[in-house]
Amino acid sequence: MLAYLLVSGLTTGSLYALMAIGLVVVYKATRVVNFAHGELFMLGGFFAYALHVLAHVPYVLALVAAVGGTLALGLLTERLAYRPLIRAPTVSLVLAAVGFAYVLRGTAREIWGGRGDYIPFPPLIRAEPITIGSVLIVPQQLVVLGGALLCMILFVLFFNGTRAGKMLQATAENAKAARLVGIRVERVYAFTWGVGAATAGAAAALMAPLTLIYPDVGGALLIKAFAAAVLGGLGSLPGAVLGGFTIGIVENLAGGYLHTSFQEVSAFVVIMLVLIAHPSGLLGAAPARRI
Amino acid sequence: MHIARRLSTLSLLALALMPAATFAQTPGVTADTIKIGSFGPLTGPNYLFGKLVMNGVEVVYNEVNKAGGINGRKLVLVREDDRCDPATAIAAVKKLIYQDQVFMINGGGCSNAAIAARPEIEQAKVPWVVFAAVADEVTMPTSPYIFSTALAASLESYAQLDFALSHGGKKIAIVSQRDAWGRSRYAPLLEAFKKKGITPVADEEMPADANDGTAQVLRLRQAGADAVIMLLYPKAAAIFVRDAQKLGFKPVLVGQTALSDPLAFRDQVGVPGALDHFFTINQMRYTPEDAQVGKWRTAMQQEFPGDRLSVYNLFGIGSAQVVVEVLKRAGRDLTREKVRDELAKLRGFETSVHPGPVTCSEADHQCHKTPAWIQLVGDKIQLVAVTPVTR
Repeated sequence: MLAYLLVSGLTTGSLYALMAIGLVVVYKATRVVNFAHGELFMLGGFFAYALHVLAHVPYVLALVAAVGGTLALGLLTERLAYRPLIRAPTVSLVLAAVGFAYVLRGTAREIWGGRGDYIPFPPLIRAEPITIGSVLIVPQQLVVLGGALLCMILFVLFFNGTRAGKMLQATAENAKAARLVGIRVERVYAFTWGVGAATAGAAAALMAPLTLIYPDVGGALLIKAFAAAVLGGLGSLPGAVLGGFTIGIVENLAGGYLHTSFQEVSAFVVIMLVLIAHPSGLLGAAPARRI
Repeated sequence: MHIARRLSTLSLLALALMPAATFAQTPGVTADTIKIGSFGPLTGPNYLFGKLVMNGVEVVYNEVNKAGGINGRKLVLVREDDRCDPATAIAAVKKLIYQDQVFMINGGGCSNAAIAARPEIEQAKVPWVVFAAVADEVTMPTSPYIFSTALAASLESYAQLDFALSHGGKKIAIVSQRDAWGRSRYAPLLEAFKKKGITPVADEEMPADANDGTAQVLRLRQAGADAVIMLLYPKAAAIFVRDAQKLGFKPVLVGQTALSDPLAFRDQVGVPGALDHFFTINQMRYTPEDAQVGKWRTAMQQEFPGDRLSVYNLFGIGSAQVVVEVLKRAGRDLTREKVRDELAKLRGFETSVHPGPVTCSEADHQCHKTPAWIQLVGDKIQLVAVTPVTR
């Protein structure tokens, strides 16, 4: 039982982690939580569906296109909902993101809302479970886990090994200083929104066979991703990964060993306990004190 | 003499105008038309429960009109969009009753919206035949003017337990979502268990938007359940059935009308063989592909080019046939009270799509009491049983 619960927890946890990474990337640079992130995930799923299922484009190309499509949408979000309000109070920025989320969701409902409600996405490899050790696993779970880990590795390489990644980190650390050394901060912000959205697109294309696709799929996932980001320490990328996996595993263990009625609430109880003991999250930096 | 002549002329005039005066007193009825209102979601993700059902209603009304109408009057359908939203539904029925002045209502697609609209309709004493909303609160406690041709949620729960028992279930378990929809079925299901003196071997929860059902499946398997009653929407149900198949857990899986399209459900589950032991309820006797509904398939394509016949159209067709029948029985001298009385007297009425006879009474306004049990065999949906259900 434990092995099954852990494998399932890791799979759903990887989804939360990928989503949380997207949130954290944007938050690190802009100090704004992108509440349209769930809808970007949803649209990423529909992009992949339209290309792979309807237009019969090979899956890998559909995944790349979904990532590209959500990246473009992220740039659009930044242009329409963030940049015009860049000097406005944070609450205005948050409300703009929420409003944009409704626009995206409403658009998806108009286009895909009435086609069977929950649209299936075929698994990428055989649908029959396989046995690894003594544990039966749906191969798609392995695809998701592998894909999520690959995305995370690519992120690490991007942030630490590329000029763009370093510019992004520099802007996140101190926007004024970054501007002084010649970094075009506005471009970095736009790029950040795009990259954050692209992770949602990647997560959606990977997870669609497990989650199904429908216009409201992003709402609940956003809450879990946000919870993962907070648990890990809002602003910490490794924290987002750790938070995502922790929530996935805790949910499954609580559901399996206590009762399934604890499944939803368990992760939030853990978050509360962690934040009481460590207010900046598992890997978040402690706030600087004035002496 | 002069006064007497004037009085007799006035009397003759009054007599001549009497029928018109009677129609004028009955809202929505003229010498040659009966205006019937309908409300439900015409737009948004739930349009299946409104627009498509109303299309089915309209096809029946048009057929009746082509044949000369009812007692010399043509039926006129007035549609209002409630978007499944309670506040919008209240505004919609107010418009239908007071602005459009409909004679009666044949509508109600979503339970929450229909429940919200109920007091307004009840107060106006407008006969209402509910076509798709299934929550018990729409029709219970009984209201003199409100009747339903949809299978009530509580009756489905009773039927699910009966089905599990009739298929050899000795250790019956429940997996349910506990939102408003789930609770409206969960409470009567527990009541059904209690009445039969049975205790479920396991009672698990699953969120409607769950992405994993491993914990639920493992717990049910551990409890040794041989039949599982699923009070789940398609997404959670698909995840549960997929994970049950993955973990080799193969009890009898008992669904309900939220899962009444096994072909779509098979695609959502996506694992071969997962539906081998899955049975579910269809509100109607036929699926849209059945030869018996060929007439409606053709009519639907003619009236709404590009639309394929769906099960939601069939809800409307059956409900509209009930409306037509009671209007016929109420006669030419039409009043809302007569329609109310005819609805309460309707016994054993066979529509062309309901699995069993539609029967109402003074005390029971949930007139559809016969679920059809279906199963997917290969690519074909097969009728397994048609069993009347009682509480």
